[in-house]
Amino acid sequence: MSAIGKLLDQFKGVSKQALRAMGGSGQLGYGVPADAFAEGLRRKPHYIGCDMGSIDPGPAYLGSGELATAAETTKRDLKRVLLGARGADIPLLIGSAGCAGASQHLNATLALVREIAKEEGLRFRLASIRADMPRDFVKKQRAAGKITPLGGIIGELTDEEIDASSNLVGQMGTEAFVRALEKDVDVVIAGRACDTAIFAAIPSMLGFPLGPVMHMSKIIECASICCVPGGRDAIIAELEGASFVLESMNPQRRATPMSVAAHSLYEQSDPVRVAEPEGVLFVDSADYQAVDDRRCRVSGARWENARKPSVKIEGARRVGERAIMVCGSADPRFIANLDSILPQVQEVVRGLVCEPGEVPDYSLLFRRYGLDGVYPWPTPPAVNPREVFIMAEIIAPTEGRAMAVAKTTKQFLLHHGFPGRLSTGGNIAFPFTPPEISCGSAYRFNAYHVMEVDDLAPLFPIEVEEVGS
Amino acid sequence: MTRLDSLARVVRSKNAGPLTITLDVMFEDRADYDRALQSPGFSTEAIGKAYGIPASGVEIMPYPKALAIKVSMDRKIVAGDPGDRDVYGAQQHAPILALEI
Repeated sequence: MSAIGKLLDQFKGVSKQALRAMGGSGQLGYGVPADAFAEGLRRKPHYIGCDMGSIDPGPAYLGSGELATAAETTKRDLKRVLLGARGADIPLLIGSAGCAGASQHLNATLALVREIAKEEGLRFRLASIRADMPRDFVKKQRAAGKITPLGGIIGELTDEEIDASSNLVGQMGTEAFVRALEKDVDVVIAGRACDTAIFAAIPSMLGFPLGPVMHMSKIIECASICCVPGGRDAIIAELEGASFVLESMNPQRRATPMSVAAHSLYEQSDPVRVAEPEGVLFVDSADYQAVDDRRCRVSGARWENARKPSVKIEGARRVGERAIMVCGSADPRFIANLDSILPQVQEVVRGLVCEPGEVPDYSLLFRRYGLDGVYPWPTPPAVNPREVFIMAEIIAPTEGRAMAVAKTTKQFLLHHGFPGRLSTGGNIAFPFTPPEISCGSAYRFNAYHVMEVDDLAPLFPIEVEEVGS
Repeated sequence: MTRLDSLARVVRSKNAGPLTITLDVMFEDRADYDRALQSPGFSTEAIGKAYGIPASGVEIMPYPKALAIKVSMDRKIVAGDPGDRDVYGAQQHAPILALEI
């Protein structure tokens, strides 16, 4: 019998039984703290969930199809959670495979899982859920006015952008995980998914009320981040029905009413309202009570079903090839004159890498760390810094072109003359050579929209395989 | 008058998705929280001025349960677009540190 089958049997006809959900990792692939994970297993959780995803690392991973995490660490983490869940014969659910959750990320994650199963002699039933949005369907929804931008700075989605996305994914909700679990499996690995859905599927199948279920899921998907001090260690939530109790599996971390309440601020634009594909979670009515020094009981969150389901869609498109050139300066006169020197060097470079009258096919941007590399301050500093780090960033149609611009930029920034110059040996220092580095393709997000749909299920197809047989 | 970075326990920024910057300012006690919330130095006008955007682009959301005030605003550039300076948005809290409360 599958792990989910056993769990459903265990709860059949039994009321008032608490469900222990273990948040194994909020960022699988960066390392899972071993001691807390082992302690979590000793508490006999009913299932383990792990989130792998985030849109924070930017458009490059979604666009390129590369894993955001290192293959070596990803495999180590997958091995830890697979061995843990299979050893205890409990369901393991992983969301947003490979961070961005498109097919390439899911495929790479599934390949690692099969490799681990082979090496460790594991046999299990695996469901995978794809999250790539069919372009024709998205265009149809666009034409029907069912797609809305998720903020003022991204425009209406166009058919041109839909076609230009190198990957276009949708965040699946709880229903997709429920459909996968209904296929009687041990392990579920999903493409792009709402982090809550990973944890909400099993308790919603068991009939727990959705307010506390979704609130619990929103908290434990980040592992022990809701504690003081916050951290990445495994956490267990014991869901009692209308309430749940949180405990970090690292004894140093305390879940306090204040720390747990504060967690709902994290990476959310609104602290009391969380929109999901199937509805909205409201935590303004939530109550947080200390059980003891390290545990907190949470109750009172409300869930409202949406009138129509919706999917958050994310797309990234290639904008060119990126190269950088890195250097620094300790020359006070060079630093004081950067406002005029850098635009002059841009012009000099243009004249050297383009024919007269030719419109540049690249962009050349200087970032001035120490002055305004991180934030575009409206006024210069009262006193100039002693040193400045300068990074030239070039985006061009080809890698060769980007590197050509980077190399000419390096040479002419080094030797650029300016009034009052003392340092005629060179304006800048290189930490190593070559200081010009090819960074691969550059991408930008071209879709971050919400799409209303009639039916979520056809967008997130499920495949089942017997691994290790 | 006290600078915000002397009064608050946490002043942080982060993306809330690639289009939005969200700031969380947390306080040690209710008195400090109330003081900041009621201060003209922590108004949508003052925060907008610190970022060079109109007050209408700043949303202030008190969250008393965590003695915290959330401030959300549009990013000036989509996270990770060419020219962005802070892909995660984790360093966009700097302009409000010096707000006078």
